Amino acid sequence: MILVAAGASLGGTAHAQAQAPGTPAATVIAIPPMTSPDKGARGNEMLAMAWQATQLIETDLRQTAELMPLPPNQKDYYSYPEVTAPTFSKWREKGAKALITGFVQSRSDGRMTVGCYVYDVDKGRELGRIGFVVAPSDWRRAAHKCSGLAYQSITGAPGMFDTRISYVAESGSGDTRVKRVAVMDSDGFNHSYVTAGETTVLTPRLSPRGKNLAFVSYVGGVPQIQVLDLQSKQQRPLVAGNPVSFAPRYSHDGSKIAFSMMLGPNSDIYIVDADGGLPRRLTTSPGIDTDPSFSPDGAKILFESDRSGSQQLYVMNADGSGERRLSFGTGAYAAPEWSPDGKRIAFTRRGPDGRRIGVIDADGGNEQLLTTGPTDEGPSWAASSRELVFQRAEANGQSGIFRLTLDGSAPRKMSIPQAGSDPDWSGAID
Amino acid sequence: MRKMLFLAIVALAAPAASQGFPFGLGPGQRQASAPPPVVQQPIEVLRADFGAQAGGTTIYFVSGSSGLGAQARTILAGQAAWLRRHPEIAVRVEGHGDPGDTRDHALAVGARRAEQARDYLVLLGVPMAQVSAMTWGKERPGAPRAVTTIVR
Repeated sequence: MILVAAGASLGGTAHAQAQAPGTPAATVIAIPPMTSPDKGARGNEMLAMAWQATQLIETDLRQTAELMPLPPNQKDYYSYPEVTAPTFSKWREKGAKALITGFVQSRSDGRMTVGCYVYDVDKGRELGRIGFVVAPSDWRRAAHKCSGLAYQSITGAPGMFDTRISYVAESGSGDTRVKRVAVMDSDGFNHSYVTAGETTVLTPRLSPRGKNLAFVSYVGGVPQIQVLDLQSKQQRPLVAGNPVSFAPRYSHDGSKIAFSMMLGPNSDIYIVDADGGLPRRLTTSPGIDTDPSFSPDGAKILFESDRSGSQQLYVMNADGSGERRLSFGTGAYAAPEWSPDGKRIAFTRRGPDGRRIGVIDADGGNEQLLTTGPTDEGPSWAASSRELVFQRAEANGQSGIFRLTLDGSAPRKMSIPQAGSDPDWSGAID
Repeated sequence: MRKMLFLAIVALAAPAASQGFPFGLGPGQRQASAPPPVVQQPIEVLRADFGAQAGGTTIYFVSGSSGLGAQARTILAGQAAWLRRHPEIAVRVEGHGDPGDTRDHALAVGARRAEQARDYLVLLGVPMAQVSAMTWGKERPGAPRAVTTIVR
């Protein structure tokens, strides 16, 4: 049954997507159907699971700019011993440079063991392997982990497949618009709502491993940051009292939160331990300082400030010393986020042509605008540092969530149940 | 110093004038000089009266700015006069950012506009405790503005 449905999706969709000129060709990777050592009815169950996982890995890798999967073909079925001894010559003939093999095996406790192996086909050499025990309901995560192994083995960058995206789901319009925090896997699956919609919410930010969520809520009458434990559902305000606070972001180790707070008419950057304590003020300029983002090592904080007149990007040490301006272009530079590999900064540029997403190197050079706008906003990096998620208001006024790779290809709209805004991409989840 | 004293007097005089009771029922209401009683008005009626008497509930800003223009000051002066006459009424100034701005900067700009309006009302003699401020950022469509709303 599963196999029939799967066969239909194999119709050779445009996997020969044109590469942007000047970018290196994607690595062709073969993904023959994963196997199972189990026999009989149980064996068939495991093979069905293995086939689903195989197809999900193909879907994952097809979304990347760096890898080009050959469509899995059930004729390429292999035996369990061949998982670790594949026939490289066969894949060389098909033009594959890399190969994924793997198996799914049932366990007496009802869970299953999933193993994946990635090979360099030309050299006939193993590049990496990964294995784990999961509940059958977690098969998607297992497959995402295999995709991540392949992506990292070949590109050197961490995969972003087993990650989560939080965003604000929107329904209605105008003054009666309802906003709810939602969380989903980065491929749109396992979607759930985190808040009930009784109060306006903004800018959810996942902690690096996706366990906690900081977001802005109007529950107290003014916008204020709340921190929610996604498991226990325990929620608390980040800061005591009633000041306006917003723009929370976790440090990459999850131990700190940087944010904006207004005592009077001025917004400044503060830092606080993620599990509580007294916030420390880091900026004192009379301008609006907001949207802080940590460097991967936590030593620096990037932010925007309109102290010079228009919003520009600045960087400072995490104790507030050594402030330095990074952007000097025309227009306003806002909502910066530091890439997980530390090399680049994504931002929203406001200019005469509207709001567009761009990137610059971490030292402020090599600016590139990646989208045409005019209503794009709020980029957030994937764990790979090679892809972004952002929001775009479309012609009907509804806002959508888009994914964008850095290779110059067009943004892809994510499939979500409603309109959405303020997306935030987590780091890899263990 | 003089201003502070003036504010204190307004604040003290206000509650006495507003503790109205229907005729003959309240204690201490027998003197002929007692102020006319204030009947508890539905909030919609109060809001309509406030908007009409003050000359408007909404002030507008130039995009990107939180400075008060001449027209905004005129309306705020009308609001302040009404609020001094109704010290039992609390208002909230709701600031809005520019629709084309980014999310968080819009929040800060909206808050700053609300604070500017609130500060001006206080400057004109409205007790600080009578006016709260908040920001919608760009959550509510419309022009850059601050709206003064009766909350009770």
